[in-house]
Amino acid sequence: MKSKKITRRGVIKSGVATTVAVAAPTIWVPTIAASQSVNVWTYANFIPKDFKKEFEKETGIKIRERLVDDQGKEFNLLAAEKNNPTADICTVAGHRFSQFIDSELIAPLDTSRLKNWSTVNKIYSESDWSVVNGKKWGVPILSGAEVMGYNSDIVSKEEARSWDVMFGEKYKGQTALILQDMMSIVMLYLGYDGNMVAYLNDPAKAKSIVNEARDFLIKHKDKVRKYYDSGAEIQQMLINQDVVVCHAWSGSISKLIMDGFPAEMTIPKEGSYGFIYCYNIANNGPNTDNAYKFLDALLARPEIGANMTKASGYISTFKGSSKYLTDLERRTSSFTEEELAGLQFFRAEANKMKYSLVDPAVEVIKAA
Amino acid sequence: MTRNTRILMSILYWAFVIYLFVPLIMMVLMGFKDSNFIGFPIRSWTLHWYTIVVQDMEVLSIFGYSMIIALSSTVIALMIGTWAAILLGPTKFRGKMIVFALVCLPAVIPGIISAIALRIFAETINLSPGTLAIIIGHTIHNVPFVVLVVIARLNTQPISHIDAAKDLGADNLIAFFRVTLPYLKPALIGAGIFCMLISFDDFVRSFFLGGYEPTLPVYIFSQLRTGMSPVINAISAVALLITVIFGLMAERIIRQN
Amino acid sequence: MPINNSRISASDSRGFWSWLSSNQSYHSVSLFLIGTHRKRFIFLAAVPILWALVANFAPLLKMLEISFYEAYPLSKGREIVYTLDNWVEFFLLNVYTIPFLRSIVFSIILTISTLILTYPIAYFLAQHLPKSKQLLYLLILLIPFWVGEIIRTYAIMILLGNRGLINLILQFFGLIEKPIPFMYTYFSLGIGIVYLTSLYMLLPLYSILEQIPKNLLEASADLGAGPWTRFWRVTLPLSKDGIASGCTLVFLISMGFYAAPVMLGGPSSTMFSETIAGHFNVAADRWPVGAAFSSIMLISTLVIAATFLKIMGRGGKGIIR
Repeated sequence: MKSKKITRRGVIKSGVATTVAVAAPTIWVPTIAASQSVNVWTYANFIPKDFKKEFEKETGIKIRERLVDDQGKEFNLLAAEKNNPTADICTVAGHRFSQFIDSELIAPLDTSRLKNWSTVNKIYSESDWSVVNGKKWGVPILSGAEVMGYNSDIVSKEEARSWDVMFGEKYKGQTALILQDMMSIVMLYLGYDGNMVAYLNDPAKAKSIVNEARDFLIKHKDKVRKYYDSGAEIQQMLINQDVVVCHAWSGSISKLIMDGFPAEMTIPKEGSYGFIYCYNIANNGPNTDNAYKFLDALLARPEIGANMTKASGYISTFKGSSKYLTDLERRTSSFTEEELAGLQFFRAEANKMKYSLVDPAVEVIKAA
Repeated sequence: MTRNTRILMSILYWAFVIYLFVPLIMMVLMGFKDSNFIGFPIRSWTLHWYTIVVQDMEVLSIFGYSMIIALSSTVIALMIGTWAAILLGPTKFRGKMIVFALVCLPAVIPGIISAIALRIFAETINLSPGTLAIIIGHTIHNVPFVVLVVIARLNTQPISHIDAAKDLGADNLIAFFRVTLPYLKPALIGAGIFCMLISFDDFVRSFFLGGYEPTLPVYIFSQLRTGMSPVINAISAVALLITVIFGLMAERIIRQN
Repeated sequence: MPINNSRISASDSRGFWSWLSSNQSYHSVSLFLIGTHRKRFIFLAAVPILWALVANFAPLLKMLEISFYEAYPLSKGREIVYTLDNWVEFFLLNVYTIPFLRSIVFSIILTISTLILTYPIAYFLAQHLPKSKQLLYLLILLIPFWVGEIIRTYAIMILLGNRGLINLILQFFGLIEKPIPFMYTYFSLGIGIVYLTSLYMLLPLYSILEQIPKNLLEASADLGAGPWTRFWRVTLPLSKDGIASGCTLVFLISMGFYAAPVMLGGPSSTMFSETIAGHFNVAADRWPVGAAFSSIMLISTLVIAATFLKIMGRGGKGIIR
C-alpha cells in the first residue's frame, strides 16, 4: 500500500504554517522597530487610517494605537505600568482627571507647544473644569453629557422634561441607569451641588447629602430594570424594549438615533452634567515630543473631529468639524439652548472626597 | 440500556445541542442585518458586513495572532500540566495538598486580579508587555485545568500497565512515554481543547499583558464601545467558521489514526 | 525493521523506544538520574513546584502585599503604610458579605445544575455511541464554545429580550399579550452561564465514563441488576473522580465570572467578582481593598474546593490520594 499522502504531521504542519503566515503582520511588523513612534491609547475608530498614513509620511513618526474600551481598565493599566510607562497619550474623561492626576499618571498640557490649540472651541478650552491645581490637562476632543434617553414611540416629549419620569409608577421596571453617575444627578435633582465642590470644607454635610441621594435611589430601586455600565448595553436594552426610559451617556443614544431607531435624548429641566474626553499626555511617556506633534497634526484637521463624532456619537470640540457631518448627525449630537442652560460640567476638585462617599454608597444600593 | 432510554438520551443530547447552537445561529444571522445594531426584527438584509470582514486583512491577521497565542500556550500548558499531574496523582508525599493548591491557584483567582497581578509581576521581572507575556499569562491560566482533567484520567490507570512495561525492561521514563502517555490521550485532547478555548476567548489577560497588537477579544471589546454591531457578529462568525474547518480536519486525522 | 508504509511514523517511534530500552548507556544515565525513589521524586517534582512558586505564587504574593498597603499606586513622596483596614472592611459591612455569600450560593447551585444537566449527555456520548462517532458528536458540542463570551451573551439578550426572538414568536402566535421579561433575572443569568460551564463539566465526565469497561455493566446485568441499580451501584461510583473533577472546575470558574453576570443579571444579583472589579476601576486608594477582597475570595474558594475534594475522597481513593 502506498503511504498516505495526508499524514497527521502534514496537516498539522500546514495548519500551523497558514496560521503563522496570516498572523505574520501582527507579530513581525512591530519588531521592525520604527525609528520614531508615538503610543496612543484611544477608543476604536477615533483616528482615521488615512490620517495615520499621512502623519507617518509627513513626519516619519509611526502611530501605534492601543485600543481601550473604558476608563476603568485604562486606569488599571496605567497604574500597573506606572514605573515603566509605555503610553504617550491616553484618553481620559474630564471628570476622572483627579484620579489620574493623584496617581501621577498624566502630565499637564503645555499649550504653547501646540500651534493649533485654537482649533479647540473656547467653551471647552477656556472653561475652568479643565484647570486643576492651576494647570491645564489634556486636549479636549469630544464633549458629552449625562442625558435622559427614551423611546420616542412610547415616552412623550413632555414626560421627558423632568427626571421625575424615571422615578414614577408609569414606567416601573422599564428604566435603567448608571449608578455612579446617577448619584451626581440625583444630588442635583434634590437641590444640591452634584460636584460637591461647595462642601469641600464640610465633610459632614457632604456625607449626609450622599446618604440622602443613596436612600432616594434605594427607595426607587423597584423602578429599575437594570444597573448597567456600558454604552452597548443600554443601546441593546432600548432596541429590545427591555427599557423605555433611561439615564445614559449622550454618545450611546446619539448613535441609536443616527441609525434610525426611534430614540430621543434630552437634558431634563432639573439639569444634568457634561463631561469632556481629552487626549492627555502620559506622565514620563517614552515619546512626549512626538505626542505633541501628533496632537498638533490632529488639531490641524477639523474633519477628524467629525470622524470622532461619527464613531462615538459625541460632539467634537474642533471648530468647523460640524460641516463634515450629515444633518442627522449634526442634529443628534446637539442640544437646544434651553437644555444647555441646565447643563454644567463635571468638576474635578472635590472628586476625592466625593467618590470616597459615592463609591461605597453605590455598593449599598446594589446590595439593597 | 433499554431502547427507550437510548432514545431519551438521544433526544436529550440533541436538545442540548440546540440550546448550545441557538446563540450561535443568532450571531450568524445578525451578521446579515442591515443596520448598525443587532436585534429583532430584521427588516432588511445585507452581505455588506461579511464582505468587509472577509476582505479585511487586519481582522484576519488578528485572528491568526490569537490562534498562535492559543496554540503556543496550549502546548506549553499541556506539558507542564501533565508533568504536575504525574507528580500529584499517584505519588504520595508530605505537603501534597499545598502543592496541589499552588498549582491550581490561577483557576481560582478572578481574571482581572490575575491579569493585574501578572502585569505588575511582569514589571518586576522585566518582561515587557507583548506576545510572550500574553502566552505566559495564558499558560499560567491553562495549567490548572490540564492538571485537573489529566489527574482524573491518570487515577484510573491500572498499575499493572506500568509494572508490565517495567518487566519488559523499561525504566520509569520510558514507561511514561510508552504506556502512560497514550493512556492519557483522551484527557490530553480534552484538556488541549479547553486550553485553546480559554486562551482564544480570553480578554482580560490579553488586554493587560498585551502590547500594541490586539488579540481578537481585545479588538472586539474595543469595537463594542460604539455599540454591538452586525460587523462584530460577522467577525465572530467568520472566526468560528475557520475554527470549525480546522476542527473537522483534525477530527478526520485523529480518526484515521 | 519491518517496512510498513502506511504507518511509518508509528513504527518509527515504536522502534525508537524498543531501541532505547535495550540501550545500555541510556540505562546508566537513567539509573543515575532517576534510579532511586528519592531521585525520581526530585526529578518529578522539580518542574511543577518551580512553576507553582514562580508563575502562580509570586504574582499572588505581590497582590497579597498590596492588600496590606494603605494606597497603591503610590503618589510621589508617599511612603508605604501597612494596615489591616482593607481586610477588616470586608467583615464590617454587609454590603460586601452579601454579594460574597450570594456568589458562593450561586456557584454551588450552578455546579449542581450543570452536573445534572451534563451527566446524561456525557453518559450518552461515552456509553451509547460507537467509538467512531464519539469524537464527532463531542466536536459538534464544542463548536458553540468558540464563540466569544460577549457575543454569546448579546445573542442571549436578543433572544430573551422584551422584543427578542422568543417574545416575538410567542406574541405572533397570540400566546401572550405583553412580553415576558426574561432578561435581567436569575433565569437569564442561569441560561447564560450554564452554557459556559457545561463544557467544563462535560469533558472530565466524558473522559471518566469513557473508560468504564462495558463488560462490567454486562456482568452486573448477568448477576440480576436492573438498569437503575447498575447505574447507581456501578457507573456512578466509578465516575466519582470525573464528578469531583468537573464540579471543582465549574465551581472555581463560576466564582470568577465577571462579564456575563454583569450583563445578564438584574439590579439585585450583584456577584462578588463585580464588587472586586469595581474596586479596581476607581481611584487608587481602593486597589488595596480590591486586593484584600480577592485574597478573601481566594482563600474561601480554596477551602470549599478542598473540603469538597476530601469528602468526595472519603470511602474511595479520591482524586488526590
